[in-house]
Amino acid sequence: MVNIEEHLKRIQESIIQGNNQVSLESCKAALEDGVDPLSILNKGLMSGADVVGKKFEKGEFFLPQLMLAGRALKAAMAIVEPALEEYYAEKGTSGDTGVIVIATVQTDIHDIGKNIVSSMLTASGFEVHDLGVDVPLKTIINKAKELNADIIGCSALLTTSMPYMRDLIDLLEAMGERNRFKVIVGGASVNPDFAARIGSDGTASNAVKAVQLAQSLIHEIRTTPGL
Amino acid sequence: MIGNYLEIIDRANTGPYITEENWDLEKVALTTASLVEKFNLKWDPNDIVTGDGALADSIFDAGFELACRIGAYNRTTERIVEFDRSELESGINHLPQTLIMGEGKDARVLVSRKVMDERPPIVWAGNPGAPHPEELFLPCVLSWAQEPIVDLITCGSLAHVEGREIRTADPIEILATRRELSYMREALRRVGRPGMGMLAAQSSVSELGDLAVAHPDYLRPCDSHLVPMLNELKLDNRNIARAVNSLEYGMRNASLFCVIVGGLGGDAPGSAVVNVASFILGNLTLLTDYQLLHPIHMRHVATTTREVLWVENIVQLAFARNAPCIIVADIYPKSGALTRELLYETAANAITITVSGGHLEGCGSADGLLPNATGLECRLMGEVGRAVAKQGMDFNQANTIVLQLLDKYEHIFNLPEGNPGVRFDQAYDLKTLKPVKEWEQMYLEVKAELRQMGITALN
Repeated sequence: MVNIEEHLKRIQESIIQGNNQVSLESCKAALEDGVDPLSILNKGLMSGADVVGKKFEKGEFFLPQLMLAGRALKAAMAIVEPALEEYYAEKGTSGDTGVIVIATVQTDIHDIGKNIVSSMLTASGFEVHDLGVDVPLKTIINKAKELNADIIGCSALLTTSMPYMRDLIDLLEAMGERNRFKVIVGGASVNPDFAARIGSDGTASNAVKAVQLAQSLIHEIRTTPGL
Repeated sequence: MIGNYLEIIDRANTGPYITEENWDLEKVALTTASLVEKFNLKWDPNDIVTGDGALADSIFDAGFELACRIGAYNRTTERIVEFDRSELESGINHLPQTLIMGEGKDARVLVSRKVMDERPPIVWAGNPGAPHPEELFLPCVLSWAQEPIVDLITCGSLAHVEGREIRTADPIEILATRRELSYMREALRRVGRPGMGMLAAQSSVSELGDLAVAHPDYLRPCDSHLVPMLNELKLDNRNIARAVNSLEYGMRNASLFCVIVGGLGGDAPGSAVVNVASFILGNLTLLTDYQLLHPIHMRHVATTTREVLWVENIVQLAFARNAPCIIVADIYPKSGALTRELLYETAANAITITVSGGHLEGCGSADGLLPNATGLECRLMGEVGRAVAKQGMDFNQANTIVLQLLDKYEHIFNLPEGNPGVRFDQAYDLKTLKPVKEWEQMYLEVKAELRQMGITALN
């Protein structure tokens, strides 16, 4: 029988290697051997994702490695997530890390930056629903309402698509739903000044900072009465 | 050879289905990675302007194989547009070798340049796509159109018209693009070169603007517009529509390939392979008149990082040796007006492109995100390019100078806010349309430094 450390090491490696088959099988084997799912998530999967994220930031890994790691993580979560739910139910605790709906807004089809942020958020334990590119504002809002999301993340690379991020916030206001969601915005030309001007809850200059922003907003939501 | 866009439309509607996610990962990323391994492709960050012909040939072969194995993807129909080897070969054999831009005495001939070609590169001045307030648009364009060294012009985009912001796919794009072309034609008249060729229709991201200006009062048949291939190796019906409209009108199609270095192709060698495949496939799918080479850095955007300079160099070398064609290469420095680094970046990029067989287009100063570009760096771009060609600079000397220049500007990539410099109206006197004294002085000093480094033909 493989010991816990070996199981976790193997899971971590599968994420770093971006091998979805191995990540799935390793997690399955670990669960069968009684490794608790929270350790699998934090010390195996997230630890591997953390290594990938750091290598990407240093320029040692590139977009394909990030995407492959995201895919391996997703494959593993298909069996780890139900186990986690059972685990939390038994312990009477919550694993709620926050739900984020993310999309490149209508008229813009650039997705690389959004995909990186999406992968990093997933790797950091958020429940991320990536709606893709050129997504109508109403679709984003409806999905956020349907999932009871905490955060809506909007991306636009084109300066001429950036106004649609303001429209989304205005639409939320008009619908009386603005206070229900935090809205964060991103893209090559988006800066803190623009983010503040359109009434968003923040922006970040890279994926690592986007994760930090999302974490701080979730903390605010969970600790502020009435939010 | 495929020369009919109907054939492309048919294939885009009937080719094999694949999701975009699987296209990106399974087709582009994994196939490219396997080809990088198969051809053992590596790059040396200290040999940026390389004359390594064997490496360039391998990059070309890998890119050809990528084009053959996966084809292009139409994201509108979610279908693969496939080509067989003979079609790709035929396309390469029919790449245009000369192209006349502009008309009358102002016309210029773009040729397929060779590596270390003594024929000077065409100097195509402007900052394509950089957003401008309306009041600055004409002065900016005039600042480079008035430079005698400039052969052809391009422009940024209008961010506002009549006080209204421009939005993608909004009807206002029609007005914005027509207004842009009115300013461009006005600029040509004012500098007394009405026949000068243009690359324009930058104020409309959707196809609306292109459709609205395909008229002799705006974009003439002797001008060109951009038809981008999307990242990576993707088309969509909106951009096919741009190409079709242009072909029907009789105007030039410039295919724009902004391969992301560090993106789906991975590190620099894989990105170069994707770039080669983009040229080969763009030629057939977008029925291109010339190729616009514009790799961008995953994080820094600029074309002046080591990785991107190397990709610009090796892709041009690969085509010059294996499939000669007209390549215009973009210069998008990180730095903006009134910074010394902008001039160093411009020079490094111009040297790399000129030695490798390309023509010069730029400068999209400050990453092309701000109206912080001026005619002065365009002048330097042209002067450096012409000097490099005139003195017959070889790869070794080019590489040595580019490394020296990198030492002078590479620190800017670590600046959290970049190095945007100042807006056009702070670097130029709007009344005289001349650079302010400090900017002119900086330019003269950098030119002297460049001469010292070995660009001896620089006047």
